[in-house]
Amino acid sequence: MIFRRIAAIAAVALVAACGPKEKTIKIAVAVPLTGDMGTEGQGLRRAVELAVEEANAAKRFPYKLVAAPYDDRADPKEAVNVANLIISDPSVVAVVGHYNSGCATPAAKVYARAPVAMVSPAATNPEVTAQQNSPDWSGPRVVFRVVPTDDVQGSYAATFAAKKLGKKRMALLHDKSPYGQGLAEEFKKGFLAQGGKIVSEDGVSVGDKDFKALLTKIKNDASKPEGIYFGGLYTEAGLLLKQMRELGLNDPFAFISGDGAMTFGLFDVAGDSADGAYLSIVGVPADELPSAKKFVDDYKARFPNDERKPFDHFGYEAANIILAAMERAGGPDREKIIAELKKTKHEGVLGTTQFDDKGDTTSKIVTMTRAAAKKRAFDTVR
Amino acid sequence: MLIQQVVNGLTLGAIYSLIALGYTLVYGILTMINFAHSEVLMLGAFMALGLAALLPAVFGTGLVGLVGMFVLSMAGAGLINVLIERFAYRPLRNVSRLAPLISAIGVSIILQNGVFLWISTQSLRFPEPVAIGQVEVFGATISSLQIIILGLALGLMALLHFFVEHTKLGKAMRACSDDIQTAGLMGINPNYIIALTFFVGGALGGAAGVLYGMNYGSIKYNLGFLPGAKAFTAAVLGGIGNIRGAVLGGFILGFLEVLASGYIPNGAQWRDVIAFTVLIIVLLVRPSGLLGEKIAEKV
Repeated sequence: MIFRRIAAIAAVALVAACGPKEKTIKIAVAVPLTGDMGTEGQGLRRAVELAVEEANAAKRFPYKLVAAPYDDRADPKEAVNVANLIISDPSVVAVVGHYNSGCATPAAKVYARAPVAMVSPAATNPEVTAQQNSPDWSGPRVVFRVVPTDDVQGSYAATFAAKKLGKKRMALLHDKSPYGQGLAEEFKKGFLAQGGKIVSEDGVSVGDKDFKALLTKIKNDASKPEGIYFGGLYTEAGLLLKQMRELGLNDPFAFISGDGAMTFGLFDVAGDSADGAYLSIVGVPADELPSAKKFVDDYKARFPNDERKPFDHFGYEAANIILAAMERAGGPDREKIIAELKKTKHEGVLGTTQFDDKGDTTSKIVTMTRAAAKKRAFDTVR
Repeated sequence: MLIQQVVNGLTLGAIYSLIALGYTLVYGILTMINFAHSEVLMLGAFMALGLAALLPAVFGTGLVGLVGMFVLSMAGAGLINVLIERFAYRPLRNVSRLAPLISAIGVSIILQNGVFLWISTQSLRFPEPVAIGQVEVFGATISSLQIIILGLALGLMALLHFFVEHTKLGKAMRACSDDIQTAGLMGINPNYIIALTFFVGGALGGAAGVLYGMNYGSIKYNLGFLPGAKAFTAAVLGGIGNIRGAVLGGFILGFLEVLASGYIPNGAQWRDVIAFTVLIIVLLVRPSGLLGEKIAEKV
C-alpha cells in the first residue's frame, strides 16, 4: 500500500517536473572536480558556466542551456565511467573536457561511439587527437582542442633552456603519465637538437612524496647537470622544488616544467621554494591577452571570491566554440555539431581559433613564465 | 653523496619506524592488524594543521609552539585510536578474528572520506614550524628539519622503550602481550591495558603524521595510505609484535628505498619493486620477520 502511495506521489512529482517548461540542453563539463586537480576543474566549470549563462542571457537559443559538471577525479578509469554517463544522457549535446591527457585519451574513444563532440581546454598530449588517425579508431572524429600540444611546448622549453638560459646539461624527470612522460620526451628531443646533453632520466610515481634520494643523485652526478626538466603535475613539482631547495639546489640550477605544474596549487605545496621555477604554458595567460579583457572582468564580476585558474579562458573559449557550432548547426544535434565544429573559425578570447585535420588548434603559441612565490604569481619571461 | 643519502634514509626510516610501532604494539596484544592506523596518522597531521593556526596565540611560534603542537596532536591522535578501539573493535573482540579486521577497514574508509568530504579534497599547505636552515656536514647538506625529525623520532622511541621496559604499566602491557587471559587473572585489567596500548600506538602515529606534514610541507586526506602500507610492511619485516623489530624494519625499508632511487640507474621508478622484492626474500628465509620469534601453538 505504502509503495503504491509513494509511486503515486513520485508520478505526480515527475509530471510536475516535466510540465510546461522550456527544453533544457546540457553542455557537459567533464573535469576533475575533487582531488588535487580539483581546483583546476572547478575553475573550468565556472568558465563554462559563465559562457552558458551569457548565452542564456542573450537569448541565443530557443531553449535553456546548462553546464552539467561531471567529476572524472583526474582518474582515467573514472573518466571512462563519466563518458559513458554523458553519452547515455540525450540532453547532452557536447563535452568540454577532459583536463588530463590520461583521462581525455580513453574518454575520447567513448565519445566517438555516441558520437558526441569533445573539446578539450587543457589536455596537451598529442595522442589525444592523434589516436583518431590510428587504424583501430572506430567511429568518426570527435576530438577537438583549443590548446597547443606538448610537442610545441616541450620543444619551446628546450629552446628556452638552451638559448635563453644557456644550459648545456639537463636532468630529465617525469611522472610516468601520458602527459608527463610525453612532455619530457618532447623536451629531450628538442634539447638534443639544440646540442644539449641529457645527463639522466628518471621516472617518479604520482603520489610519491620523497624525492630526496633521487635529487641527491642528480646533485652529485659526475656530469654536473645545470637544471632539471620535469614533466608532471604541480603536487610532485612542488615537492621536488621544496626538496631541491632543502638540498641546496638553488638558482642558477634551473627547474623547468610545463603547464601541468603552472597553477597556484604549486605555491601551496612548495611555499617559498617555488620561487624562480620556470613553467611554460600553452597559449598566452589571459591577463596578457587584449582579447580576453572582457572575459577576465566578467569572470571577476560573476565569481568575485574565486581565483581564476590558468586554463579558465580555454574552458570559456571551448564552450563558446561549441555554442557557435550549435548555432550554425541550427539545433542541438550531436552529429551536426561535430560537422560544424570542423569548420570552426572562431573569433574569441584566444584570438582566431581554427582546427586542423586532427582537431588541434592551429595556434601554436607557448609562453614561458617564472614563479614568484611572494605574490603568488607567474610572471611572463620575455 | 653517501652521507647525504644516509641522512635521507634515516629521516625516511624514522617516520616509517614510528608508524610501524603503532601496528606492532596493537598486534602484540590483540594479534590484530589495526588498518585504521594510517588514518590516525593522517588525523594527527590534520590536527597539527588546525593547532598551528590556533596555537601561536597561546604558545608563540618557535620551539615552544612546535612542542605544544606536537604534544597536543599526539594526545588527540591517541584519543582517536582509543575511541576506535572502544567502539569498533572491543564489541567484536571475541566474535571472530575477521570481524574486527573488517571493522578496521570500515573505520579507515569512514575517517578518510570524512576528511575528504568535510575538510578538504586537496593538498593543504602545512606550516613550517621553525625557520629551516641548512648545515653543511662533510659535503652533505642537512636541513634543520631533518635534524628535528630525526631527533623527535628517536626521542619518542627512547621514551617508548623506557615506558615498556621500566614502568609498571609497561610491565602490565608486556604481560598482556604474553598471555592476556592469565594477565587478567593476575589482577591486570585487560581492557584498560588494551586502551592504553591503543593510546600509545595512536600517539606515535599522530607524531609520525605531524613529522610527515613537516617533512613534505603539505597534507591531504589520503596521506596515510602509502606510508601506512609501507610501515605495516616494515613491522612485518622486523617481526610483527616485536617493538625493536618495528624500528629496525622501518629503518631498513627507508634505506632500501633510498639506495634504490639513489644508486640504481633509473631506480626511482623501481624503488618500491626493489624494496618489496627484498621483503619477500627476507620473509622466505625468516617467515616470522627479522626479530620475530616463532610463536608456539597455544593449546
